[in-house]
Amino acid sequence: MSVVTDSPVHSSGSDDFIDYLNEALDASSPNSSSDEEAENQDEFEDLRNKRRKLESTEETEGSTSEGIVEQKLVVAESSVVKVDGCTHPGTFGKLCISCGEILDGESGVTFGYIHKGLRLHEEEISRLRNTEMNTFLFSKKLFLVLDLDHTLLNTTILGQLSSEELHLLNETDSLEDVAKGSLFKLEHMHMMTKLRPFVRTFLKEASAMFEMYIYTMGDRPYALEMAKLLDPQGEYFNAKVISRDDGTQKHQKGLDVVLGRDSAVLILDDTEHAWMKHKNNLILMERYHFFASSCRQFGFNCKSLAETKSDENETDGALAKILEVLKQVHCTFFEKLQGDLVDRDVRQVLSSVRGEILSGCVIIFSRINHLALPTLKRIAEQLGATCLTELDPTVTHVVATDAGTEKARWAVKEKKCLVHPRWIEAANYFWEKQPEENFFIKKTTTQS
Amino acid sequence: MQLHPRYFGRNLRDNLVSKLMKDVEGTCSGRHGFVVAVTGIENIGKGLIRDGTGFVTFPVKYQCVVFRPFKGEILEAVVTMVNKMGFFAEAGPVQIFVSNHLIPDDMEFQSGDMPNYTTSDGSVKIQKDSEVRLKIIGTRVDATEIFCIGTIKDDFLGVINDPTTV
Repeated sequence: MSVVTDSPVHSSGSDDFIDYLNEALDASSPNSSSDEEAENQDEFEDLRNKRRKLESTEETEGSTSEGIVEQKLVVAESSVVKVDGCTHPGTFGKLCISCGEILDGESGVTFGYIHKGLRLHEEEISRLRNTEMNTFLFSKKLFLVLDLDHTLLNTTILGQLSSEELHLLNETDSLEDVAKGSLFKLEHMHMMTKLRPFVRTFLKEASAMFEMYIYTMGDRPYALEMAKLLDPQGEYFNAKVISRDDGTQKHQKGLDVVLGRDSAVLILDDTEHAWMKHKNNLILMERYHFFASSCRQFGFNCKSLAETKSDENETDGALAKILEVLKQVHCTFFEKLQGDLVDRDVRQVLSSVRGEILSGCVIIFSRINHLALPTLKRIAEQLGATCLTELDPTVTHVVATDAGTEKARWAVKEKKCLVHPRWIEAANYFWEKQPEENFFIKKTTTQS
Repeated sequence: MQLHPRYFGRNLRDNLVSKLMKDVEGTCSGRHGFVVAVTGIENIGKGLIRDGTGFVTFPVKYQCVVFRPFKGEILEAVVTMVNKMGFFAEAGPVQIFVSNHLIPDDMEFQSGDMPNYTTSDGSVKIQKDSEVRLKIIGTRVDATEIFCIGTIKDDFLGVINDPTTV
């Protein structure tokens, strides 16, 4: 094949050039002279070499149509690439996992928690998400992302134990038989961890309904240690422990590193602002403060659970209640929703379950701090209550902090429930309408 | 090779050799690959005292066995992790990833306790600790590690040894 004589420098259409190149490729033998690694039938290499030869002939001719030829080369290149095309679905150690080329680009998301050096690009991630969806929906499982600190456990640094908590140093459970214990001392990390009551039963029952991930703002070694404590057999969280080193944004958690579609993921976390983009998937947990350092971190001056030698109720605590909610959401998603499994959205189920908690309640707010009012109103409306601004016979609850206000006195007169704003917050945390008697406010002043 | 003055004395040469072996074995370089073992010392040149510190630098010529995978090479490796994206295998210090794009289409991923890739008739299974023969299609050498991409889609590649039957 003579490159010089066949050179289409003066040809009119780019199609001619493309045809020429295709022809040349078909006619060529795999062992081109410049290809040293003879075993490797790299068509791409051949093409590059041919192009180099072409370009050098262009230069010797020095024609003004060089620009046009280069354009044609570019067009030809893109069309020929499709023939041998690699979609570069991802990289491992900067090498494309499909063709082995070195890719320096920053596109895609790093999945370092699965294996070091692994990075997947958007198309591949969506493809994997879709196949995952089908597998899991088929086996009736949704996805659950769990936070660690203050949700499933509470950790403190050994040096920050208060004087009344020092007795705990002698009460830690053995690290040999992790499944039986709940208080662990990790010498090499200078930390002590207390698992939340009910957590093992919670994980066992949730694993039957959900594919679970851990997502924490701690670093990777910490996350892996905690995973070992929660899951000594490695049956729940194998290669599904996401730490802050794996997140794509600083101080924010995201579902982009989770291989499950947003419409099938539920999140359990105690911090709302870490999940700004996925608030609809979030179930907010009441914080678990076992250690004094944890209480102090959040500004509470009361004695911690460790200091008072007590603990959260096992069967009636936050985890048990949330497990019930998860069961309800799971059941509604798979049994009660109509339509194709892939089209169902767990976020809709979540908001409808949430909307039933205070449904039927008509609430009016009285002299609530104007900074807290919008949040409170939003929570109440999410819980299904209707919020009014004017007094009305349909009002069922008046929420106030002071029993002396006009609306408060009206409530007492009309025998409506007069409750503290914490009644709404409690309903939000416990996913259940709380008995109003626990939230009555005492009359403090007589002025309006 | 830089040596601290505390090693000077009768055993200077031995100290130098052992320090060399400790420093060089297990390292990786782009040009030569992974140094597996030092086999012999060819020559130790005259030492040069560094200005400022008391360290002495000796140029040492040595022979060693290196390991460097090449594109197109066929290697045997042990599977270390299997997941829906493919499987990871190790051939000594080299980490190889075989993506599911490069696994024959008749092998499907099965998740579970021991995730694996199995053919439709169940005759061939790739799981953790299986030995596979694979072809390297790309390599990249880092400061301390070598990353490779492999394939088992060609003829004569795939499982050599089923750990369950051994």
